[in-house]
Amino acid sequence: MGKVKVKKHSTIIDMTAMSDVTVLLLTFFMLTSTFLQKEPVQVVAPPSVSDEKVYDEKVVQVLVGPTGKVYMNFTGTKETDSTKTKTLPTEKFREEVVTTAYSLYRSAHSGAPALTETDVKEFGRLGMFGVPMKDLVSWIGMSVEERDKLTKEGEGIPIDENSKDFPNGKNKVNEFQKYWLPAVINVLQKHELGEDIRGGHLVAVKAGKDTPFEYVHIVMENLQTAHLNKFVLMTSFKSEKDR
Amino acid sequence: MAKKEKSRQRKFDTRIDFTPMVDMNMLLITFFMLCTTMLKSATVELALPTNDKVDENNQTEMKESEAVTFIIDGVQNEKGESKEGEGMIYYYEGKPDVENNNLVQLKFDKEGGNTIREMLEKRNEDLLREYRELKLEKEKTNMPDTIFKKKAAELRVKIKKDDKAKKPTVAIKPTPTASYADVVRMLDEMQINQISTWQVETLNDQDKALLSKNGINVREPETPK
Repeated sequence: MGKVKVKKHSTIIDMTAMSDVTVLLLTFFMLTSTFLQKEPVQVVAPPSVSDEKVYDEKVVQVLVGPTGKVYMNFTGTKETDSTKTKTLPTEKFREEVVTTAYSLYRSAHSGAPALTETDVKEFGRLGMFGVPMKDLVSWIGMSVEERDKLTKEGEGIPIDENSKDFPNGKNKVNEFQKYWLPAVINVLQKHELGEDIRGGHLVAVKAGKDTPFEYVHIVMENLQTAHLNKFVLMTSFKSEKDR
Repeated sequence: MAKKEKSRQRKFDTRIDFTPMVDMNMLLITFFMLCTTMLKSATVELALPTNDKVDENNQTEMKESEAVTFIIDGVQNEKGESKEGEGMIYYYEGKPDVENNNLVQLKFDKEGGNTIREMLEKRNEDLLREYRELKLEKEKTNMPDTIFKKKAAELRVKIKKDDKAKKPTVAIKPTPTASYADVVRMLDEMQINQISTWQVETLNDQDKALLSKNGINVREPETPK
């Protein structure tokens, strides 16, 4: 009788402590992780031996799709208390960039629909985008599915003057160069973040490893023209024994 | 008897089995761990020359003997992709010489371009020798990374200014069909071999003439579809 009792007792392990530890770890990972951004096209970055990490604030990400479509995303400062100087939270960054870029577009195309306050607020909450200016307002007003569909199947941000004509006629404009980049530079300067523009870490170009170089080259040329000669290419990590 | 049973029941009630809870937590932890490590991608810094016109007086001339030009070519499949490692690497030293045909073919091998590495190592041996010494010193004295990087940068400047030292000036010229991964790999080689002066450029007419003499035709860049 006594023997059996002892055996029974030894098989039960108290899992409470274990559970405590796992919950702690879980909370840690949940708080420290930031989720992967939804990207319109999946690209696999090429491997590189470089171990320098991409900056997680004040970054303009330019994504080059496998067929050369260009998408953009903006990340502001980590500091969100906008009463401080040199602070530009992501949402505000996006809102101001879209306002500036769209007003540049409207000054050249007076017939274009106006961008309302709610549109701007909505854009601030969105992620990566890639639509030509003429579709921007209607794109913001769409449902999530329609939006994703248009980003995926649309033409991306027009970046090359020689790209095929827009359906409605002759306005072949390099919108990346003419509206978006000046808007980014303008907004950063307004918030006294000008030194980050030439620091070399503002623009991060991401392209798939099987993308022909010509598409990446178009983006590079555009950045050069905008005097953003220094930028980074996003890569995935590769270990090199004889580094 | 009845009393005894009751007390036993109570004891049983207070004990909750935490094993499934732990299982679930572990799963969630694994998920979050994998997500966070995947997240931060590495970067390669790139500085391009300005597009502005530069006074000829201000331009720094490079020695012809130091110049090495790499041309990265790629093969585009019917899907429009340029797969990594399927293209060819060519290089010439000094100026492109169509008459004497100074184009040499290389290939990235599976181990990450050892042929290219050997060649660059030989051309940059003065810097690499001192860099390796510095690295040894770092390991011996437990030098912090920041100081090591600073010292390495100083070393690069020192060699750059030293007229007698062997130091290559590398131009990387990808063709429009070159695979992006191959270009990044070439940039890696620059970093591995501690090349301090290198540039990404586009092919000029002389390069194209030299390539076509070797039977390689470079097409004009296409615009995105």
